[in-house]
Amino acid sequence: MPILRGKPVSSGIVSAHSHIYNNQVQILENDIQLAPASIEKELNRLQNAVKKSRAQLKKIYKTVEKKMGSSSALIIGIQRQLLEDPSLIREITEKITQEQLHCETAIRFVERKYIDIFSKIPDLTFQERKNDLSDILQRVSANLISRPHQGNKNESATILVAQDLHPSKAAQVMSSGLISGLILEEGGENSHTSILARTMGIPTIISVPNALTTISEGDFLFIDALLGIIHVNPSKEEIFKLAEKKEKYTAYKSRLKEIIPLPSQTLDGKDFSLLGNIELEFETTMAQNHGAEGIGLFRTEFLFMEGDTAHHIQKQALTYKNVAQSFYPKPVVIRTFDVGRDKTVPQVEHEQGINPALGAMAVRIFLKKPTLLKKQIKAVIQANESGNISLLFPMITTIEEIFSLKAMVSECFDQVKKERSHPPKRPPFGIMVEVPAAIKLIPFLKNHVDFFSVGSNDLTQYLLAVDRNNSEVSALYTPFHPALVEALFEIVALCHKIDKPVTVCGEMAGKSVSALMLLGMGYRRFSMNPLALMEIKRIFTHVHASYAAHVVRQIRRLPSASMIEEYLIEQFLKKYPDLFIKQPFF
Amino acid sequence: MIQKTIEIVNKLGLHARAAAKLSHLANSFDSDIFLIYNNDRINAKSLLGILTLAASVGNEITLETNGKDEKKAVTELTDLFSRKFDEES
Repeated sequence: MPILRGKPVSSGIVSAHSHIYNNQVQILENDIQLAPASIEKELNRLQNAVKKSRAQLKKIYKTVEKKMGSSSALIIGIQRQLLEDPSLIREITEKITQEQLHCETAIRFVERKYIDIFSKIPDLTFQERKNDLSDILQRVSANLISRPHQGNKNESATILVAQDLHPSKAAQVMSSGLISGLILEEGGENSHTSILARTMGIPTIISVPNALTTISEGDFLFIDALLGIIHVNPSKEEIFKLAEKKEKYTAYKSRLKEIIPLPSQTLDGKDFSLLGNIELEFETTMAQNHGAEGIGLFRTEFLFMEGDTAHHIQKQALTYKNVAQSFYPKPVVIRTFDVGRDKTVPQVEHEQGINPALGAMAVRIFLKKPTLLKKQIKAVIQANESGNISLLFPMITTIEEIFSLKAMVSECFDQVKKERSHPPKRPPFGIMVEVPAAIKLIPFLKNHVDFFSVGSNDLTQYLLAVDRNNSEVSALYTPFHPALVEALFEIVALCHKIDKPVTVCGEMAGKSVSALMLLGMGYRRFSMNPLALMEIKRIFTHVHASYAAHVVRQIRRLPSASMIEEYLIEQFLKKYPDLFIKQPFF
Repeated sequence: MIQKTIEIVNKLGLHARAAAKLSHLANSFDSDIFLIYNNDRINAKSLLGILTLAASVGNEITLETNGKDEKKAVTELTDLFSRKFDEES
């Protein structure tokens, strides 16, 4: 009964039989050469498989377009066109006829040839296309075998096990409803496939070494995608234990669901708002399903990965408009491109310097080279037909930056106004408070800024001088350091003083103890990973804001992060013994 | 036969979407159409071929058309390049 471990990227507990998805098509070794009479047969097989593949891609295109928006569907559109390319098919045909090869072998040769060509291209965006080519050729290969529709004998869903899964394949299998779980040997936490799994609520574990060598077709799997553990053919006792955990989790989930329609109010009647952080248009659905009261942070850097969207005003505007309209009248806050530090994109040229986190990034780049930022601002203004969009600028350090950005917004606004028959709506202007120096600017900003967002991840990093992704020092990264606590107190007090709304939109907002601390400090708006929304709502609706304020006042006397954290947990449990769930469910 | 050298002016060069537009337009003509770039000569009606060129901004590419509608093909294809494939506004 082997146990495998990996990284859970979409939570849940599920049991089912395995289905191995093998994207390596095997070359038939013993009869590589075909008899001349068989050539005709092979060509027919090829033709049928291509036809079938085209029909499948057409269907996938429509599903993806419906569920994830037209910009995501374009990836599939390119694949469709590649498969229509007569020279590709001709090349495979020639391999079959001239070298008397099986279709599978011929396709494999052509695939290798192009992978070699694409791999030699230095530009990564062009190199990426080899994945699209592999994707379609593997599809054609799979369609060569006329299977009587796999899984017919047993229509129940299976857990798919694969090395990795292309987004198009992922979209196809997940929308088919035949997949109840996903295990990948490779995969990325923020790949389209993982995001899609979260959106569709399919428990998924990635980075599982040896999954394909350990798991065989039809094995019974019990996967715990809360902890990232896969039980292969577990014993009866184990199944019993796991089933119990699954039941508890399901009960917990359905209790959480009941929380969504309840008003966002603490026990003593204080209102709060919980919003979602998203990066891609199709995450909107997930955020809504988890009860988001709007989008507090739409990170737009991902637009650079969707072909030329970042360069195209109309395409960007469409993306923003779709998100804004699906949340209307709830707010949608769009943060302008925050690139240059951890996210570098080839389209934005700049000198990183030896210390990127203190160098040119975000508005620091765009104030010098404004073309892309202006396009983005115009797209946001154009998209704001419903009037619920706000514009948020990251990495602000000085008031001069704010003045320049405001001038830029006005210029863009006037241009859009000229191009339009009906006057556009001006989106409120907000800044991120993440460079510690920005805190001290707040008192001067009453007439210049409409709202503030605390980027607590970066604020913590800059205040404590700790890179949280560096395992040597990441232990120093904590939301409870007394210096951070004081900074957070100061921010909320200053914003209240000049009467401006403030939202916390880092990880702190989505973790129960730190979120309670923020509530006690007086914060009322929180934006977080949509998956955390229901749990935070459960906690907030079970406490008194006045008690939280009372507890949090006391922590200002404590000199260390661990003392603060312990004190908070202790005091909240004293009054609400069942507040924190024992098991880490996500 | 007509040959014409064009500069690539759109930022992303002949990336997937631009290449798709180019091959789509090329396929609407009867003439044979080729692209010559860095000593590679490919059929402009093949999307795959165009992608393998990895032609990027600021470089020159040669268009070669041969057939009944070769003039019309050159005009319209050149126009597509100079319109930056309708992707920058």
